[in-house]
Amino acid sequence: MSCEHSRLQIGADPEGRSAELEQHLQECEPCRQFRAETRTLDAHIRRALERPPESATPRFTASWRPWALAASVLLAMLTVLAVWLLRPSDTLAREVVAHVQQEPESWLAQQHVDAQSIDTALRGAGVKLDITSDRISYAQSCWFRDHYVPHLVVQTAEGPVTVIILRSQHVSGRRTFHEAGMSGVIVPAPQGSIAVVTRGANLTAAAAQMQQDVHWLAGAH
Amino acid sequence: MRNSQPESPVTSISERLSGADPQTSITELFESMRPDLLRFAHWLARDRSLAEDIVQESLLRAWRSRDTLKDRGAARAWLLTIVRREHARLYERKRLELVSLDDALESQVPAKAADPEGDLFTLRHAIMRLPIEYREPLLLQVLGGFSTEEIARELALSSTAVLTRLFRARNKLRAFCGMSPAPDVSTSEAAP
Repeated sequence: MSCEHSRLQIGADPEGRSAELEQHLQECEPCRQFRAETRTLDAHIRRALERPPESATPRFTASWRPWALAASVLLAMLTVLAVWLLRPSDTLAREVVAHVQQEPESWLAQQHVDAQSIDTALRGAGVKLDITSDRISYAQSCWFRDHYVPHLVVQTAEGPVTVIILRSQHVSGRRTFHEAGMSGVIVPAPQGSIAVVTRGANLTAAAAQMQQDVHWLAGAH
Repeated sequence: MRNSQPESPVTSISERLSGADPQTSITELFESMRPDLLRFAHWLARDRSLAEDIVQESLLRAWRSRDTLKDRGAARAWLLTIVRREHARLYERKRLELVSLDDALESQVPAKAADPEGDLFTLRHAIMRLPIEYREPLLLQVLGGFSTEEIARELALSSTAVLTRLFRARNKLRAFCGMSPAPDVSTSEAAP
């Protein structure tokens, strides 16, 4: 019998006795020592098993509770902070977002609209655009806060950008907002304001470009 | 190879029946073993409430099959076998939850210092952490008093595979107890 086989038998059953094993042990001091150690270990194992184990409650042991409580408070604070940071800046912004959501097809249009459709959308808004019609994929005149306003989607290198020209809506300053996966800004304009909404395009650049491209006509209303 | 029968920490059925009323009902017999079954299930499942569920279900199964128990002297092994199978069924259903216990076990380590039986605590903790494929045959052998062949039949393994698992179980515990582990054996674990 080899030492390896001897230790396998001893490790599997320290009290086991076979003629072959006993003969090997007579000649092998290390294996005798191994059996003695293993028998001692086995006595400890039996003692250890005399009573049931300390029950472990998964995950929520007492030591976890303070951490779980702290994590809950932190999560609540972060949620409040996120809601505050990402809130629409005011009712106007919220209504702009709601309006865009009501016309989801506007984001999907790929082909540019003809010049006549653009004229129809701009009618009564008192503005003219420096944008060529091949960049405009959606143009509608929409009812918004008791007025018809131009609702356009302009294609940019970074994706579509929604532009709503709000001649009757004056804002005191630039207002950004983030809601429903959209980022937007309402910028003041000479005769009202312009709302720009994107889903990933560079909002600042798009808003600046629209401030340049939209020309307000004097005397219109 | 037949395992010798060292003193089992589980009270043997013969001890229980000696001097007992021969007319002791099967229900009383089963109930008298509930603490031992619960301890066995607890070491298997590592969770008290889970162990209670296992034992309750096992006793129910045993009661339904009571007519198949011809020899009352074999009741202990029979019941332990039912408990093991019930645990195996539950283990398959709740594998993920049971695995997650390891995290909870880690959190108990610092309690060792406060335990007057620190070494024993370490060993108990080590047994708890043994993978089920090593813990199960070890419990069957030490708590249940089953022989290698009986364990092999119960676990549908070859005797060699059972020997290997028992060897490895103790080898892991040796390491936990500061003893130098023996070189691992390379044996096939093929089913019989």
